[in-house]
Amino acid sequence: MSLAIALVVAALVGLRLASRWSLGARRWLMPVCVAALGVALWHGACALTQTKIFPTPLESFGAIFELGRTSRLWNDVVASLFRVTWGFGLAAAVGIPLGLWIGWSSRSFLALNPLVQALRPISPIAWIPIAILWFGIGDLSAIFLIFLASIFPIVVGTTAAVQNIPQVYVRSAANFGLAGFDLVRRVVLPAAMPQIITSLRIALGVAWLVIVAAEMVGMQSGLGYLVSDARNMGKRYDLVVAAMILIGLIGIVLDVLVRRLEQFDEVRWGFAKR
Amino acid sequence: MNAAKPKPKVVFEAVAKDFERRGEALRVLDPIDLVVREGEFVCLLGPSGCGKSTLLSIAGGFEPPTAGRVLIDGEPVSAPSPRRVFVFQEYGIFPWASVWDNVALGLRALSKEQQYERIQATIDLVGLTGFEKSYPMELSGGMKQRVGVARALAVAPDVIYMDEPFGALDSLTRLTMRAELIRIWQTRRPTILFVTHDVDESIQLADRVVVFSPRPGRIAGIVEVGLPHPRDLGSSRYGEIKNELYELLGVRHAI
Repeated sequence: MSLAIALVVAALVGLRLASRWSLGARRWLMPVCVAALGVALWHGACALTQTKIFPTPLESFGAIFELGRTSRLWNDVVASLFRVTWGFGLAAAVGIPLGLWIGWSSRSFLALNPLVQALRPISPIAWIPIAILWFGIGDLSAIFLIFLASIFPIVVGTTAAVQNIPQVYVRSAANFGLAGFDLVRRVVLPAAMPQIITSLRIALGVAWLVIVAAEMVGMQSGLGYLVSDARNMGKRYDLVVAAMILIGLIGIVLDVLVRRLEQFDEVRWGFAKR
Repeated sequence: MNAAKPKPKVVFEAVAKDFERRGEALRVLDPIDLVVREGEFVCLLGPSGCGKSTLLSIAGGFEPPTAGRVLIDGEPVSAPSPRRVFVFQEYGIFPWASVWDNVALGLRALSKEQQYERIQATIDLVGLTGFEKSYPMELSGGMKQRVGVARALAVAPDVIYMDEPFGALDSLTRLTMRAELIRIWQTRRPTILFVTHDVDESIQLADRVVVFSPRPGRIAGIVEVGLPHPRDLGSSRYGEIKNELYELLGVRHAI
């Protein structure tokens, strides 16, 4: 308990002093202080309720180290990232061109948008039986589910991005005789790109979000599998929480990586004035 | 001014435009007849909503007229063409492309060397030398509009349409840009149709000012400026023209 109180005090003092740090340091230290506060509250709640089942922070972090000592941690992270990379990559490869088309052509918008809107709210979990039926038990099923979860934010975001292209760009393109592939490459795609990147960011978040569900299709590896496996095999809640923490931390890393795309000269204009 | 009158370049023949609003036809332009001569600088002056920008869009081939037609070199306009280029108000250039790539937009058909030469010459002409690799967001409003002008000039168009191109600039930058535009126009001699609601701007730039009355737009009068460049903004003739224009606009010149 005294440990928790010490942590709370340290975190509050840290946040209080935040204004003295440089912006770069604040970007790191403030979230760390908030996380420390959360960990302290978690620890305090465990101590107060005297729980025997719910793991304390120490037990959970211990579980991460336990996973790290065997090669399981690395294997599970790689397995999950492999499936998310493929599912998300395919979703982007199909979703961006599809969104460009639906956004640009009012005919295809009329024809396809209702279908997109009807498929979009169906949870990937509902697709699990069909995924197994079509792709069997294995990576393909998991990739299919991640693909399904992440393609809709990309299609919807890209469609809206194209529809929001200011008329003046379209007119400029027409004035200089751009048409067909040239028009897409030089005007439609770059004009929509900032919003497409934002939709990719959302989609990658969703892809990573559904990893637990996607690995329910009989996978024998991955962080999502670890969650269900740890619960089934002797109620190892410390491992469950450890997997959740790892999924969250990797989620931050993925988001930081996508946001790198915002720095390119070709799209900086779309993020500058917000 | 024009001893031997140059031939007609842009001819508006009873051009009228209606917009549909809640199922009703709303007239924005009464039939307009106007002849713009080759190499002439004409300002279309009028209050907002008088249809002058619509008339320019029709001449550019972006919108069809409800009635009448626009002829360029005797040919009816039906679609946009790089022979007649639009300069839009500030945001027409592409923010995702460098100054160089923006100016290159209309030159895709040329060989690499020809492109290079033409782009550099145009960038030099509008005074953007040294900013070839910059992106629009790194430039001031005036410089952005120079890019817009350069992009238009690069394709060596016969006609340039300008839709309040300096409207978003501060008043000092606007003065500089007008002087620059006149310098460039005197170098290349394209026909320019320039839409503005600024009386002084029209007198400083135009050979002729076509004044529009509002809703539905029609021509209230045409004023020959007839002053040589550079124009003395304090001359008595300048003041007379100004009074004439204000009168045609139906606005009191004294407050």
